[in-house]
Amino acid sequence: MRRIFVYISSILLCLLFITASAQKKKNKPIVVPPDSTVWLNGFSVQADIGSLITSTLMSGDSYSSEASIQMDLKHKIFPTFELGVAGANHLSNDNIGFKTNGTFERFGVDFNLRKRKIDSKPTNNLFIAGLRIGMSHFNYNVTNVLITDDYWGGSVPLNYMNQTSSKIWYEIVVGVQVEVLKNVFMGWTIRNKNLISQDIPGVIAPWYIPGFGQNNGANWGFNYTLGYHFGPKNKFIKSKKILLNQKTTK
Amino acid sequence: MNKSIFIVFIVSILLIVSCATDDTCTQTKYVTLTADFFHVYYNDTTQLKAIYALSDSLTVQGLRLDTLTGKYTPVDSILYNNSPQSTINLPLNNFSTHSTFKLKFKTISDTMTIYHTNLNDYLSLECGCIVLHKIDTVTITRHFIDSVRITNHDVNTINAENIRLYK
Repeated sequence: MRRIFVYISSILLCLLFITASAQKKKNKPIVVPPDSTVWLNGFSVQADIGSLITSTLMSGDSYSSEASIQMDLKHKIFPTFELGVAGANHLSNDNIGFKTNGTFERFGVDFNLRKRKIDSKPTNNLFIAGLRIGMSHFNYNVTNVLITDDYWGGSVPLNYMNQTSSKIWYEIVVGVQVEVLKNVFMGWTIRNKNLISQDIPGVIAPWYIPGFGQNNGANWGFNYTLGYHFGPKNKFIKSKKILLNQKTTK
Repeated sequence: MNKSIFIVFIVSILLIVSCATDDTCTQTKYVTLTADFFHVYYNDTTQLKAIYALSDSLTVQGLRLDTLTGKYTPVDSILYNNSPQSTINLPLNNFSTHSTFKLKFKTISDTMTIYHTNLNDYLSLECGCIVLHKIDTVTITRHFIDSVRITNHDVNTINAENIRLYK
């Protein structure tokens, strides 16, 4: 009888201990990670100053100039719209001329790949990766296309004037953006461009596509941007230490 | 972090510069009509057969029609000069709808005229434009050659057989 009493009392003591420790765990404060900002953290306007340099490096007979507007959503997602003008005035080895001037548009989204530690202040220096869809509708001239006959003799020059083309492509973008002064940003992006709309055999294909570059199917691009940020930026809310049981009772 | 970004920057600049393309044409631009010689014979069971055959000592030259005299004059350049051939490639006139050739087999000569339509085909800025042809009809004097048959009307950069010459 005495043994039975000892067993039951020891079991009851154990249960009491487990319940007490569980209660202790419930009251331990937990850290709620900061959801630092509101959705819209303003926007930035950027101008590409690198396209002028790359135009010179590539061939010297094409030009490109562009600007972009970029929204800042939660300092993680950056929807982007880019608008530009570009053109080429190129002469081939056989003196065939190509001339175009046109506008282009790109839209897409960048993602900030830098992960922030809990309770650390958000940085304005970004490492970004993203996608773009680009499009251009443009006119061009191909002049002095010489048709010759080496055996029978004779030659005739042909001119293809006011040719029209529409091209769509996608770009994979990787880059860096750094705040050099308050609200003033500098950055660069490398782009891998791939044409979606290919040339139909038999048509007078353009040598250059505004915003895409030479009509090679795939191209590399480089942008060096200078931008200014407007509106609120990185509103930072510190982590709150709250008791879970207190929160639930409220 | 800063060092790795700098390396990526330098590599990307080099990559972009190295991607600059030159203006050299890599496509073939030679458009010629391909004609194969076939020998017609009767076998043991008196069935008519045609085999791909070598034509010994063949001379081929283009003939240009002189509009003033109405006579054909040979083009300066000789395409095949007294050499054995089983296949010949003939350039059709890019600025005329017919091309005439003189085919001389040892001492016997035939004149073959190919009537065709021409189509300009723009390749690229680097390669320019070529002229493709579509064969309408072929006529031949039957001194040495017995008959001619069109096997493929399209004359392009692919050296596929266009006509068969039977002897």
